[in-house]
Amino acid sequence: MNTSLNWLKDYIEITQSSLELEKGLTALGLECTIQKQKYPFSNVVIGFVEEKKQHPNADKLSVCKVNIGNDEVVQIVCGAPNVREGLKVPVIKVGGTLDFGAFKIKRTKLRSEESNGMICSEKELGLGDSHDGIMELNTELPIGSDFISYLQSSSDINFDFELTPNRGDCFSHIGVAREIAILEKSQITEREININESKNNTKDLIKVTIENEDACPRYATRIVKNVKVGPSPDWLVNRIQSIGLKSINNIVDLANYVMMDCGHPMHTFDLDKITGNEIIVRFPKQNEKMQLLDESEIELNEHHLLICDQEKPIALAGVMGGIDSGINENSSDILIECAYFNPRVVRKSAKSLDISTDASKRFERDTDIERVEFAINHLAILIKEFAGGEITKGIIDVGIKSKVIPPISFSSRKCNRFLGINLDDNEIEEIFDLLNISYKKENDIYHCVVPSYRNDLEREVDLFEEVARVFGYDNIPEEFSFTSNYNTFIKDEQLSFNKLREISASNGFLEHYSNSLISEQLCQLFSKQPSIQLSNPLSQEMAYLRNSLIPGLLNAVSINERRQQSRFKLVEIGQIHKKVEAKETTSVESSAFGLVWYDNANPHWREIPQLDIYQAKRDVFIILKKMGCKNLKVKETDVLGFEYALEIKNKKIKIGVIGLISNKMLKLFNINNNVIIFDGDLQKLSSVSEKNIHRFKAVSQFPVVTRDIALLVNSNISAGKLTSTIKQYGGNILTTVKLFDLYEGKELGHNKKSMGYSLKFQSEDQTLNDKIIDKTIQKIIKALENEHGAIQR
Amino acid sequence: MHIAVRAEEIREQFFQELEGLPHDAHQIKLFKDKYLGRKGLVADLFSTLKDVPVEDKPNAGKILNELRQSLAIKFESHTKELDNEGENKNHGDLTLPEDPYLIGGIHPLTHTLNEINSIFTKLGFSTVYGPEVDTDFFNFEALNIPKHHPARDMQDTFYVKDGVVLRTHTSNTQIHTMLKNDPPVKIIAPGRVFRNEDISVRSYCLFHQVEGLYIDKNVSFADLKGVLSHFAREFFGQNVKTRFRPSYFPFTEPSAEMDMSCFFCEQKGCNICKYEGWLEILGCGMVDPEVFKSVDYDPDNWSGYAFGMGIERIAMLKYGVKDIRLFYEGDTRFLGQFA
Repeated sequence: MNTSLNWLKDYIEITQSSLELEKGLTALGLECTIQKQKYPFSNVVIGFVEEKKQHPNADKLSVCKVNIGNDEVVQIVCGAPNVREGLKVPVIKVGGTLDFGAFKIKRTKLRSEESNGMICSEKELGLGDSHDGIMELNTELPIGSDFISYLQSSSDINFDFELTPNRGDCFSHIGVAREIAILEKSQITEREININESKNNTKDLIKVTIENEDACPRYATRIVKNVKVGPSPDWLVNRIQSIGLKSINNIVDLANYVMMDCGHPMHTFDLDKITGNEIIVRFPKQNEKMQLLDESEIELNEHHLLICDQEKPIALAGVMGGIDSGINENSSDILIECAYFNPRVVRKSAKSLDISTDASKRFERDTDIERVEFAINHLAILIKEFAGGEITKGIIDVGIKSKVIPPISFSSRKCNRFLGINLDDNEIEEIFDLLNISYKKENDIYHCVVPSYRNDLEREVDLFEEVARVFGYDNIPEEFSFTSNYNTFIKDEQLSFNKLREISASNGFLEHYSNSLISEQLCQLFSKQPSIQLSNPLSQEMAYLRNSLIPGLLNAVSINERRQQSRFKLVEIGQIHKKVEAKETTSVESSAFGLVWYDNANPHWREIPQLDIYQAKRDVFIILKKMGCKNLKVKETDVLGFEYALEIKNKKIKIGVIGLISNKMLKLFNINNNVIIFDGDLQKLSSVSEKNIHRFKAVSQFPVVTRDIALLVNSNISAGKLTSTIKQYGGNILTTVKLFDLYEGKELGHNKKSMGYSLKFQSEDQTLNDKIIDKTIQKIIKALENEHGAIQR
Repeated sequence: MHIAVRAEEIREQFFQELEGLPHDAHQIKLFKDKYLGRKGLVADLFSTLKDVPVEDKPNAGKILNELRQSLAIKFESHTKELDNEGENKNHGDLTLPEDPYLIGGIHPLTHTLNEINSIFTKLGFSTVYGPEVDTDFFNFEALNIPKHHPARDMQDTFYVKDGVVLRTHTSNTQIHTMLKNDPPVKIIAPGRVFRNEDISVRSYCLFHQVEGLYIDKNVSFADLKGVLSHFAREFFGQNVKTRFRPSYFPFTEPSAEMDMSCFFCEQKGCNICKYEGWLEILGCGMVDPEVFKSVDYDPDNWSGYAFGMGIERIAMLKYGVKDIRLFYEGDTRFLGQFA
């Protein structure tokens, strides 16, 4: 909200500078900024023309002696027709600049007469369009004083407020003035108004019926007859423009003026257009429609409180007038509406139509029910004064005149303890006085009655805030001891997430955060889990909550590939959602982690293995083992969106899948190289980590025996199966199984491969002799033969 | 004699191979095993002694012992030269590039969050988490933001359906925690939150927050100022000043915004603080009695404070990031800077 300093001065004498006010009001909770004007000139002072002579060599120029302060008198050649002796003028001194520094004033000679500076016009200073002549200043300010301070003292200053929703009372000049009064430690002076009514009775002209008193507790009207709608007087135009509004006509401007002045919105109707001489405040009938001032046609529903005549709605209460009933240049008799509407009703109504007006903003934040009579009288008086006519006798004022404001009990002791301060009763009472809170003290308790405009103060704690605010948040000390109660300790369920981040990072993965909101299409690529749709998305691209981390990771790959990044690994840890109708929120949320590998690097000077699933698997095994998985097993599996994939389990628990993303998917994401992805369930991994209690195991003192075996097997037998058979039959003494050779060649026969395994045996309690080892090897080979048709070579 | 011939063969082969033996511990070990090992060539030849006629055995034994001894001596003397450090000049150009590697790293938002967490953890705050999709009750109503209240305009909300929202703040976790635990409560709750705002340099459809909540006997506004000023100094530096301004949040009363002295210009005025010398850091306040009512805590017995801060905002200030979208794009040239 925009306020004008000059306007505020109607209410209060201001001793503080505008900068002090800006700071002070912000500290009181009215976040405010001064609209600072930047002047395009420098080094301009107020000069006094002591002497003016005709230029000897030029008809249109004068040679002036100008006093620019400190008894310095300079000669300036001036071309303005209005320059004369005895004028106070703005003078730019030698060295000063115009047009934001683009033009610099130098000592010069004009037709052989010396000129030291320039007497300026409005246009030259960038203050206006007038180039008729130099500015003539009417000021008491001393000669030589800074011209900018002259401008600031004579012009207005605007304060722009970002008001919090609870401070509806500050949506006006009187409201801001009350807050300034706190800073000035004084009180505002209310406007004095005197109403002169004609003999005609208002009640003969109009009747008011409120059908729903909860929605509209008070409705007042006045009528001004025989007005002349026309342009606003200058003072009104100035006031309206000073806060950034456009002048429309005298009636509209006056209604706006009074609203901006006292905070109470009013509406003016053309009395002739009200059918049946009755105003009815009611909710819509079935299928009722109306057209608003902005020409929009709306279908009315139970949210819309209406102002109606006997036939039809004429305004949407507290929001906007109807198009047919408003004032135009031919209107003569005006009905002023000043009502107090229930803030919730106005909000529902405006919200349902997505409209926000100056009126609805104020009603939603609640207005002062007790201000109604003053506001309507003030407007009527102003209309009579500036649009002519007569104010008819009496105000039609239906409903309650004030709200019952129960006193709030307030304990200074409690307040001091709550805020951590130590104010005595005098200080507390001084604060109450500044806030216009009346009080009675009984025992140690104050019974406080708040002014009717402070709808936000209802409870003791609200008064604590007022005390804190007026005392100054910055004056409240900082308490530097803290306590902790062991009962408050709650286990951190995501403690292992950071461990996973660190391990991934030390294995070359950069952590990525991707958008949780993705398109419907992306939700279907890698997961069959139903996903959650938003009912009001920003766009179709972001209409669903992700049910997998993979789309986000592939988007990142795509971006990096487009930006010529050739080699990288990414990790993401985040929440994914599955739609479950049975849940109240329809969401089952879980923590997931994803890894991605991308390698399109140029050849290295010596051969190194290219990125493939085995390298990626190595990273995954390091990470999972560091996270506490001691018993990893892999199995080939089919996964949506993958060319091929492996399932990774620890014991019986599936931790995730790893594989190569299918070409179809790569195309979809505009990726031109292979991408490997690991898609993991972080909750499962964390549960493994948790259960992993580390027990020390003695290191065997006995020697290791290594035996190599070579096997001939069918190509379709997987290494994983062979290894697991070897481990199964190797028993406790088999410590490691290593595949050191894999060979496929014609000489082996069709669909055959040769596999060389190196097995290491060690016992914890004895030196193993050949007999034991031979027996074990035989057992293994026999099993391999039985289960997989393997032949020892 | 067969053994003598074979011995000479081995000797010759040994000398030849020894000449070209690289200065490499592994190669040297293999060489030694091949000739002098337990299953080496010399040992092999020894094993054929049993087939030699008795009368030839002394001679053959002598030949073999001599072979073993001389090879061993030669091997020792040859490899001793290798013990002189730095003598090896045949190792190639060591300045050729190392094999390619990748440096990983955690996200700048994780860095920032972890730093914030660690400060509060030291002060005894437990870390808890709340759901991203939540009911209107947890996100709004229990926090004293009833339907049709202008405060709802402060946050543009994504809806899943009537009564179910993507949380607009981590404050929902306050309610979940208080409903589960009796006071005292001392938690921080980090997490992802959502706002229905157009994506731009300054705003994204989601961001991250850390919520703080402390409920105990006699917690005061002065305690709140103390803990948050301490946090600002720990996080941004001991010279940082803080100021508190009245503000409005429906779930706190009194409510405040905490500003911090601009650490870029030290309050001389700069672009970052818009020449005001202060940076808005977080919102906070004393927990409103209405919130206590909705979780069935007795406001006459307990008081407390709550605060919430945006991780992105703090990370942007800390690292000088001007465009919030960089955090979610995954550009490795951006992420790599925080590795």
